[in-house]
Amino acid sequence: MIVALEVAFGLVALLGAVSTALVRDSYGKVISLGILVAGIVPFIVDRGYLDVAIAVSLIAPIATIFILMVVRREQA
Amino acid sequence: MNAVFVLGLAILVIGVLSVAFVRPKTYVARLINLEIPAWGLLLVMLAYDEALALLTFVAVTAISTFVIVRLMEWRDASC
Repeated sequence: MIVALEVAFGLVALLGAVSTALVRDSYGKVISLGILVAGIVPFIVDRGYLDVAIAVSLIAPIATIFILMVVRREQA
Repeated sequence: MNAVFVLGLAILVIGVLSVAFVRPKTYVARLINLEIPAWGLLLVMLAYDEALALLTFVAVTAISTFVIVRLMEWRDASC
């Protein structure tokens, strides 16, 4: 990968991880998790594992939906 | 060392610390924080070229999240 892109996506992934760890609101945590995933998927694509990228892109939102179910139940 | 490997290790350490010292001390916050070391571990496994291991890990992580959410809902409803 281009070095600038690698640094940028690595920074996005690190900031997503840190913000997921530090944000106290549950919805905010889930949104920060999306930023973390957005930083990591380009690295999977860069290695050439497009099937893994497809599986991750399909399964990660499903896990997020299940987490949102329990978050909504807790806040209601 | 590989950049992906180093980034994966960093995210793994951040995630483990955030799961251990979770701030709103609830099950939901711990479950969401548990997703962080899973992605870090995915990046570490990406450094070793095994596509089948990656696919299996992603699928099992999603299924275990589903099971844990069901368990948490059942526990909240029962008490």
